[in-house]
Amino acid sequence: MTSLLGYATVSMILFSIGAIGVISRRNIFVIYMSIELMLNAINLFLVTFARYHLNMDGHVISMIVVAIAAAEAAIFLSVIILLFRSKGKLDTDIFTELKQEVE
Amino acid sequence: MIDVLFVALAFFAITGATSMLLYKSPIYAALGLLICVISIGGLFALLSASFMFMVQIIVYAGAIMTLLLFILMYLNIDEEDLPEEPNRNFLIGVGIAVMLPINALILDTIAKMPQADMSVVEEGFGGVKEIGVLLYNDWIIPLELISILILIAVIGSVVLAKKRKAKELN
Repeated sequence: MTSLLGYATVSMILFSIGAIGVISRRNIFVIYMSIELMLNAINLFLVTFARYHLNMDGHVISMIVVAIAAAEAAIFLSVIILLFRSKGKLDTDIFTELKQEVE
Repeated sequence: MIDVLFVALAFFAITGATSMLLYKSPIYAALGLLICVISIGGLFALLSASFMFMVQIIVYAGAIMTLLLFILMYLNIDEEDLPEEPNRNFLIGVGIAVMLPINALILDTIAKMPQADMSVVEEGFGGVKEIGVLLYNDWIIPLELISILILIAVIGSVVLAKKRKAKELN
């Protein structure tokens, strides 16, 4: 069970669930969580292959991915708070407002 | 023993992710994702990546998911604020139909790779010391770039918080 194929299957299933969440849900929080889930699945893939090759570069790359996810969380959640305060809903349509403010 | 742990952690990870996909309320979805993230941390520990296990528990489950739960409770979302998702099940079916061939292709490729022993490495792999040596020798430029990125994110969130106050005064 604990072979390369087992870990790869788990991470591909998690990545697919994240992608399906981005496709099918309209709640902006759930879309954010699906993106986080996809990042986690890629981390699992990187760590699996780091163990497979006994090379720790994969650990460093997945640590960088965690740092990017933390930076993304700060920006994404503050944008969601701003949009929820002004619009009062959580639909993904609120992000079309960002296009008009630039013009 | 390790097989049992792997199956249990994989089961919890996939169950948490599925509940995140299916629950309508975002707070239940966040709790499902929390279970999933902690289980992925356990899988990191099984892959003898002890430093990544710590990072996953402290940064992901401890900081990012707690921030998300804190914001969900702070916004106090009612049932009528949630968007309607009339064709959610249809889109989930479309997503499964799209993702299945990709999964089959990638897993078929990986099954043809030479299988290595994935048991726990005793010492000298994945600890804090080894990662630190690697990070400050080979990966010093990406590390500095990441620090600049996090600085930009801090400035960005400060700017966003300030803009809201100016808007409210108007």
